[in-house]
Amino acid sequence: MANKNKKQNQTTPKESEISLKGTFISVMLLGVFILALWFGSYALFLSR
Amino acid sequence: MHLHKFEKIWLVFGMASLALFLLITGFAAFWKGTHPQSHIETIDPQNVEAHEAFKPENLGLQEVADGKYTVNIVASAFNYDFGTDADGKAVKRIRVPKGSTVLFQITTKDVVHGFQVAGTNVNMMVEPGHVSRLETVMKNTGEFTVVCNEYCGVGHHQMFAVVEVYE
Repeated sequence: MANKNKKQNQTTPKESEISLKGTFISVMLLGVFILALWFGSYALFLSR
Repeated sequence: MHLHKFEKIWLVFGMASLALFLLITGFAAFWKGTHPQSHIETIDPQNVEAHEAFKPENLGLQEVADGKYTVNIVASAFNYDFGTDADGKAVKRIRVPKGSTVLFQITTKDVVHGFQVAGTNVNMMVEPGHVSRLETVMKNTGEFTVVCNEYCGVGHHQMFAVVEVYE
């Protein structure tokens, strides 16, 4: 059992090696979308 | 605790957005005076005429000062009572000049109604037992349809009026 765990740990890449580029882009796209919606609605509120 | 560089960026982005939204909401509430339309002012729905604003002769559009207007309305299934004109006909159209400040005061005799002047920021829920108020500046000219946007029964779609803002 201990051996197996050790093996798994070895195959898991270290955190610094994980690429979060795709996640980063998706999160930022979603963030920009939410900001655009928010400011769009606010602009609509101010103009009416 | 170790955080990935990207994680730090999106956490800061998320928290900054939240802070910004709260600041704008606070600005609107405390500086610009945006509040819920029903200010916990109660009224007897069986006897709305007892309230000064909802006496039959006070319904409809009134100019209270130069460029300042009040509109008193009693909503009921399925009508907005804007009072009557000189011929005794029910008013379904009110006209105000562009740039005027209009205070809408509305209550209901029966069920929950909506009061939306479509195309403007005037949008209120009208609850029995409460007086809803909203003051607004009519910035844009045009004809705006007043609609009930809370389903109130079979005649819901018959509740409408027109607010005309002229140059």
